[in-house]
Amino acid sequence: MTPTRGGDAGSQDPDPGSIERIRQVLIRAVERHCPPALAAHREDLVQMALVRLLDRPRGEGSSPRGASYLWRVAYTVVIDEIRRVRRQQRQAEQLPEGEQRTPGPEARSELLECLGALQDRRRTAVTLHLEGFRTAEVAAALGWTEKQAENLVYRGLADLRACLEGGDT
Amino acid sequence: MTEPSDDLEQRFRAALPDADDGDCPPADAYWAAAAGELPFEQVRALVDHGATCARCAEAWRILADVRRAAASADAAETVPAARPVLGPARSRVRLRTRTLLPLAISAMSAVGLWVVLRPPSARPPPVERGGGNAPTMRAESPEVQPARDALLRWSEVPGATSYNVTVLTPDLVVLHQAVGISGRQLPLPEGVRQKAAGGEVLWNVDAVMPDGRTVASPTFELRLR
Repeated sequence: MTPTRGGDAGSQDPDPGSIERIRQVLIRAVERHCPPALAAHREDLVQMALVRLLDRPRGEGSSPRGASYLWRVAYTVVIDEIRRVRRQQRQAEQLPEGEQRTPGPEARSELLECLGALQDRRRTAVTLHLEGFRTAEVAAALGWTEKQAENLVYRGLADLRACLEGGDT
Repeated sequence: MTEPSDDLEQRFRAALPDADDGDCPPADAYWAAAAGELPFEQVRALVDHGATCARCAEAWRILADVRRAAASADAAETVPAARPVLGPARSRVRLRTRTLLPLAISAMSAVGLWVVLRPPSARPPPVERGGGNAPTMRAESPEVQPARDALLRWSEVPGATSYNVTVLTPDLVVLHQAVGISGRQLPLPEGVRQKAAGGEVLWNVDAVMPDGRTVASPTFELRLR
């Protein structure tokens, strides 16, 4: 069965091909972006998240179960699973309260200070850019045209570099 | 075009504090933000949080990858969706054919070029789960069994060197994991039987292949009497 987009997909189950594609993408994303200790468990982590997704009762929530809905839920369950695993790891390590949760004074970053000093729209655009969003994706998230997004990312990066080199933003 | 900022990305990653989960926004809020469903002020607040928390910055990066893949999957699905539009009337069919033929030729040429010029295929996926050429594993033990002799048995995956089995509660708490089983069955351990007596457990199997890949089964149910 091929999942379709839109509201008429409410009664459809996800087809195995879609789930497999989503699984591979999630595994690659976790491998790419998570620290090695967590990335080493990427397959189990993603598998557990997808088991949760597939075992959700049919009709849960009011959203249709179309293909894009499936991607969205898969993303949220995998992030929830990453957070859950980290909580477990933290409990297992039994770190003293507060340890590893706030950076020490030496970890205070010049880059974050400069980023924080940017004008709102530039800061938001640049932060998304530094988090891997392309210009068109920044534009879609912020409701701007692609040209606006490109300008704001460009100017924001220039400000950021100037600040890091000792100039003003 | 924005100038490359790899160095800034690296510094940004390294600078972020490893904050606690307690105050992190739900993952669905990030999706909603990236989808353009939220007003600028809300997106800005979410993005600003990502600039103070390594874990949420990581969630944003994963989001970018996942949304990109979702978009390309959507684009691939919209091509077959155009087929039913071709109506029975010949004139319309002819018109559509005339419109679609150049597109189809371009698409076929692109596919042909891709087949010829594509880079050598990457190593096979580390885990195969159904589909493709991977054999589908089946549960060979009954779905309902007496708790005291409960046994998990599964079908063979040709070439597998060993099997890993995970037993979970229905709410997916892992009860037992057995690794490196050479046979195709596992008696349900005593501790699991006690915990799950009168209820049900879920289980799945990963077949370990000689090249390190695993072929994973679907999740099976076992009800214990």
